[in-house]
Amino acid sequence: MELTLFYLSALVAIAATFMVVIQCNTVHALLYLIVSLLASGFIFYLLGAFFAAVLEVIIYAGAIIVLFVFVVMMLNLGSKTIEQEKQWLCPGIWHGPAALCAILFAELLVTLMRSGAHEAGRIVESKTLGIALFGPYLLAVETASMLLLAGLVGAYHLGRPLRSGS
Amino acid sequence: MTADAFAALLPFIVLSAAAVAVMLAIAIRRSFRLAFWLTAGGLLVTLATLPCALSVAPAYVTGLLLVDAYGLFFHALFLLAALAVALLCLAYFRRRDNENEEIFVLLLTSTLGALLLVSSAHLAMFFLGLEVLTISLFPMIAYSVRASRPLEAGIKYLMLSGLASSFLMFGMALVYGDLGVLSFEQIGASGAELGQKPLALAGLFLILAAIGFKLSLAPFHLWTPDVYQGAPAPVTAFLATVSKASVFALLLRFFTTVHAERSETFLCVLGLLAVVSILAGNLLALLQDSLKRLLAYSSIAHMGYLMVGFVAAGLLRRDLQAETIAFYLAAYTLTSLAAFGAISAISDDARESDRLSDYTGLFWRSPWLAAVLMLSLLSLAGIPLTVGFVGKFYVFAAGVQAETWPLVTTVVVGSGIGIYYYLRVVLAMIRTVDTAFLPAQSLHPAAGLVLAVLAALVLGAGLFPQTLIDAASQTPQISAGAPKGNRHSAP
Repeated sequence: MELTLFYLSALVAIAATFMVVIQCNTVHALLYLIVSLLASGFIFYLLGAFFAAVLEVIIYAGAIIVLFVFVVMMLNLGSKTIEQEKQWLCPGIWHGPAALCAILFAELLVTLMRSGAHEAGRIVESKTLGIALFGPYLLAVETASMLLLAGLVGAYHLGRPLRSGS
Repeated sequence: MTADAFAALLPFIVLSAAAVAVMLAIAIRRSFRLAFWLTAGGLLVTLATLPCALSVAPAYVTGLLLVDAYGLFFHALFLLAALAVALLCLAYFRRRDNENEEIFVLLLTSTLGALLLVSSAHLAMFFLGLEVLTISLFPMIAYSVRASRPLEAGIKYLMLSGLASSFLMFGMALVYGDLGVLSFEQIGASGAELGQKPLALAGLFLILAAIGFKLSLAPFHLWTPDVYQGAPAPVTAFLATVSKASVFALLLRFFTTVHAERSETFLCVLGLLAVVSILAGNLLALLQDSLKRLLAYSSIAHMGYLMVGFVAAGLLRRDLQAETIAFYLAAYTLTSLAAFGAISAISDDARESDRLSDYTGLFWRSPWLAAVLMLSLLSLAGIPLTVGFVGKFYVFAAGVQAETWPLVTTVVVGSGIGIYYYLRVVLAMIRTVDTAFLPAQSLHPAAGLVLAVLAALVLGAGLFPQTLIDAASQTPQISAGAPKGNRHSAP
């Protein structure tokens, strides 16, 4: 049963990712990307990594995709924008992602109905994760902070407005 | 945290603190000189902590980092190289007085990335170190945001290194999926049956592809000339030396610890990469008339020579392998720093002097600068009396002793072609032109100091290589003295 669920959500993930790649329209591609991320979140859930699944949904499907959409929307400033956005929202484009989401939703319902007897993997709680991050992987966390510092300074330097002269 | 772990971590802590200190100093008061002095001070203090770390080496710190003599040798090399690059930056960015202090923060973080990479003993640290290095390098490459070429180079580097990182991630995922472990040592423990683990082997090849990209080995080299040409000259110097040397040092540590060399296929692939890199690098360098592009192709060829040393010495003895790689990387770092330093010294932020025509008659305009550039080119070509010759001799001797004739032949052919294009630059420099119209090159004291020291080192280590050889052979067989789990007894 677990295996069927896994293969089904893996198929959804692959189909959605494939659609991301072949779409010509960025916003349509983003719709499929959300589905792809939800599907991989569900796979994490099936493996017992609840915390990773939740993070996948909140951070990737939530925050990062919203950021993407904002950037895409903001880049297309101009006279044709309104026409273009109308075109993006043409009815029918939601059919594909919605169908894929429906499959995932059905899987979720099935899993919840079966009242959580997980054969695959072992359940990793957020507490275990926290202990791992601040125990054996402490240096990795610290290094990641330096990585963020470098990224921040670099983004600041590249992104600051150019002064003429000075 | 025990006192030993703290001592082993001290270089990393000091370097991170220096990066944060420079950032805070910039936030409080923008002063280019202050940022430079803080950076130089941070690098020197980090150098001073290395003996302290050496006193507890070899030591594992939380299983992610292995601080040993091999890593510390490269730490010293990279810190000195970063110091040279900081001095070159001071000279190069002197004309821009608005907001260019960030380069020093990025220089410190990327040096930290290189240090972490060399000392990593775990795939997680390997990835993070590489990312710290890459993410800091990409704004450095695109640093002169007003010009289009650095931006183009920066975007190219970002895209392609993102691709390489995803290969690396996928490779690590495959290795973990098959073996269930992430530390090098534990992967090595299952190294004997690596041949029967196709997934892990595929993962290792994917990791090799990512490393090949970073080293710009031949099939993965396409970004190199554009990025080298577009980046500001001091950044190119850093990219060519610290970035590549750290990845190569990691390559040696990783692939010997996981016993990848036991697989015949693996050695064949590495040998093939070496041959293709040497030929492609040297042949394409013939066509260039930009000195930076020429040096980019020559660096591809040099990575090929190093790979020959890696394969050949690996077939012989493990300690010889570490010694060959350490010596060659040190020689290559010194020489490349001198070459790019000379380019940097006659360029500034307004204009990159990288056409060959910029160098015509340079010898008559500023003989000392031309002499340094000439010396570094001769060292890259492997002419005796320079440190490059001793490095190439190591590779050649290892190749002959291991009887890897195809590799040795390629090295000979490649060096032959190399002499032609290096001498082309040298001849352009000593050609007599009417110098009346050309301005004399003024040399910034910081750049002059760096070039003088580097030239002295290239010549000194070429004439009396014993000191450097001793230092390189002190880098003992990797993890041989590791506190636990020494599994190198099998042939």
